[in-house]
Amino acid sequence: MSEVNIQQALFSEVGQAVEAVDKLREAGINDDHIEIISGMPLSHHILGRPEIKSRVPLFAMTGFVVGFITSIALNYFTPALYPIYVGGMPLFAIPPTIILTFEISMLGLMAFSFFGVIWENRFPDYRPHEYSVEATNGKIAVVYDCPEDQRATLEVAMTATGASSVGKPEVLR
Amino acid sequence: MTTDVQMMSKAHDRGEEALAQEHLMHDPRSQEEMNGMVMEAMQDMGVKYYALVAFLAVMTGVLLFGAWGLLIFKGYGLAGMNRPVYWGLFITNFVFWIGISHAGTFVSAILRVFKAEYRRPFTRAAEMLTTFGLMTAGIFPILHLGRSWRFYWMIPYPNQRMLWPNFRAPIMWDMIAITTYLLCSTMYLYLPLIPDLAMTRDHSTGWKRTIYKYLALGWRGTERQWAHLQRAINIFAFAIIPVMFSVHTIVAWDFAATRMVGWHTTIFGPFFVIGAILSGVSAVAMVLIIVRATMKNMKYFIRPEHFDAIGKLILIVSMGWAYFFYNEFFLEWYGGEATGHVVLDFLMSSPIWWIMIICNMGIPFMTLWSKKVRRTPWMLFTVTALINVGMYFERVVIINWIPFRNRMPFDWGDYMPSPIEISITLGALCLFALLYVVMSRLIPLIPVWEVKEGQTSHSVRKVGKASISSVAELE
Amino acid sequence: MDEKSNKTGEDKWGMVVDLDLCNGCGACVTACGIENNLPTVGEDESAYGRGMHWIRIQRYWEGEYPHIRARYYPVMCQQCGAAPCEPVCPVYATYHSEPEAINIQVYNRCVGTRFCAQNCPYVARVFNWFDYTQAEPMNNFFNPDVTRRTRGIMEKCTFCLQRIRRAQEDAEQGGYELADGDVQTACSQACPTRAIIFGNLADPESRVARLSESARAYRMLEDLGTKPKVFYLKGSETGLRGLTS
Repeated sequence: MSEVNIQQALFSEVGQAVEAVDKLREAGINDDHIEIISGMPLSHHILGRPEIKSRVPLFAMTGFVVGFITSIALNYFTPALYPIYVGGMPLFAIPPTIILTFEISMLGLMAFSFFGVIWENRFPDYRPHEYSVEATNGKIAVVYDCPEDQRATLEVAMTATGASSVGKPEVLR
Repeated sequence: MTTDVQMMSKAHDRGEEALAQEHLMHDPRSQEEMNGMVMEAMQDMGVKYYALVAFLAVMTGVLLFGAWGLLIFKGYGLAGMNRPVYWGLFITNFVFWIGISHAGTFVSAILRVFKAEYRRPFTRAAEMLTTFGLMTAGIFPILHLGRSWRFYWMIPYPNQRMLWPNFRAPIMWDMIAITTYLLCSTMYLYLPLIPDLAMTRDHSTGWKRTIYKYLALGWRGTERQWAHLQRAINIFAFAIIPVMFSVHTIVAWDFAATRMVGWHTTIFGPFFVIGAILSGVSAVAMVLIIVRATMKNMKYFIRPEHFDAIGKLILIVSMGWAYFFYNEFFLEWYGGEATGHVVLDFLMSSPIWWIMIICNMGIPFMTLWSKKVRRTPWMLFTVTALINVGMYFERVVIINWIPFRNRMPFDWGDYMPSPIEISITLGALCLFALLYVVMSRLIPLIPVWEVKEGQTSHSVRKVGKASISSVAELE
Repeated sequence: MDEKSNKTGEDKWGMVVDLDLCNGCGACVTACGIENNLPTVGEDESAYGRGMHWIRIQRYWEGEYPHIRARYYPVMCQQCGAAPCEPVCPVYATYHSEPEAINIQVYNRCVGTRFCAQNCPYVARVFNWFDYTQAEPMNNFFNPDVTRRTRGIMEKCTFCLQRIRRAQEDAEQGGYELADGDVQTACSQACPTRAIIFGNLADPESRVARLSESARAYRMLEDLGTKPKVFYLKGSETGLRGLTS
């Protein structure tokens, strides 16, 4: 879209970045159009940004249930299919069931959380995205898209807040 | 007084300077600089490195896989087991390496949960210990089978044999538990690695860059990505702790679930777990000392303060081990059955028993209380190496020596490890070392983002005349 | 009739060993070896504890010279009702035959974990450490009814299951019921003093059933709860005293 411009401002301090975000909000840029890229996790409390609800715990609970069901299947359906008696033990023995249920449920929990991270982040994502190598090196990149007419004023505002560079973002290939 | 101790006592006088020298968290450098240091360490692959890798690869190939091939080809009898000692050094190695693997989870998960900030630089080094320890351990359940080539019969999948494996068998619990732990620890190694892989991608060129680019999954560091990653890492940290405890307990139940006198005790689960933590954390100390001495720039990240903390941890765990050990064997002596006394008498007549006690209790108790010993790398290395020797002998005593004596005196026996078992033991050690050395140059060993996070959350306050280290939670 | 049988008319195999009659001659060991194609391990390996004996004579010396006395205990797989060896096999290579109350070892299922052997309190199981053969001229006398085991496989006394099956098939073909004494294990057949008696514990008239309730009867390591099927008869003082003192 010709009206929208993606700009990136690099800051070396968290305080500056937060101030810059405030200025962007004052200028009318919506939170949805602002993205902050950093080499270190900065929580939404620090940045003053809306909280991101992660569904990873939901994936984890689903995984736990899937693991639980798999373990019940292994412990109860397989001896029911092919009953073999050993050692005076009952065919469906509860203590070994508990052990395996625990292990497989935890495996499900963790495997699904891992998968959840991949899914939620839309990984693997090798399409070109705005990025800055400086961000991995410790700077904080505030990426925003603004209408063309606001570009210049915002550039000045960013530089005033202490941005080391403002301009078109690099592309991660 | 040593310089370290002098430094500490003068820390209050000299304030921030001393704190910075002592604590990594108070000696912040820019992330760019730290990234550069880590990359430099990764790219340091000279002739010595390649020679070491080649040597380890050859030794692994010959000592481990060659010997294993010989075992399959000639027959299992080349190993030293007999009746009644059916399990030999292979199972001992198995338990030993599972024990080593507990270190990583202890450091990266338990210390993370307890917010022990000193863990930050070496979580990945420790987690690699777990993953590679498990890979090394995972060879042995297959290797020790009389018919190794049929190991896949133990995998539960629908098949035309019309047989599922027996889930009431402790070996099946082993298989499931170790598979769970291996997969989960690999994922737990990988998740915090993603931002560092992205960093490596950015600092690489050519085909290396392509590989890291694919491994980094397109990580950029946006808030969304960090939020999801942090949630998952927290879930993993909490979830992998019970798995860690349960895995070694299940391995202990390989022995405790039998009817053998000396094995069938309820204390084995916790006893093995604490033994695993002891040998594992000692192994972490050993590996860190080696890494610090051989890799570039590691002296900035891994400091005497870390060895100090690890040394104190080892001392406490060693006391815990002594507590469980005494519980196990003292009660066998007091009011135990006749066969139990026979077993104890036999064990105490063996020098391995006494080496175990000296190395696991005597040496830590006598040395690790001293700050100087804890903070001097070569001294800590010696102590932890001896602890690992002691822990290896503990497994030998329990797994190999106890079956010598049983309830029927006519059927007592003995066992001597054969050359092929010793070769495979050394080969496993070479395999572990090979995996670790190769990986240490493929992925960044220090999680720079975690160190940076820690450095950001630490600050120095003045309370009265003293400069005090203060930590805040960033979340 | 608790674990010995739950109804009459079924075959619940059991054994009685009369220790007052056993003189330790070892005929049972030899017969078992020939019957079950037991391999020759060799002197060195045997000395190291790798002998492949499904039944062994435990010999305990008592007393000081010149009043030494030996006690002999023939021990084979006790075919436990609650066998510790069975639940620990991950591949179900050993399981319990509920109808016949004996412990079955499936050779071609065994992967060689040796967990069962570690768990057996009677140390009754033996493992094929190498591909053993039999010494000359025994390698011409293989029993066709018994498989020969390759290396990496666990084996143990089977109560001569091949003889049980042969007798059962003959009885079915011939249309008669198996009588006590129709089935003989190799060891019981070979014993010169008739110290080993094999039979059907479910048949109240059989010798084993009657002898198992004798006042002299006990089972080895009974307090472990393994419910063994082999009953040992031992009087207060046994046999050899008159010969040596």
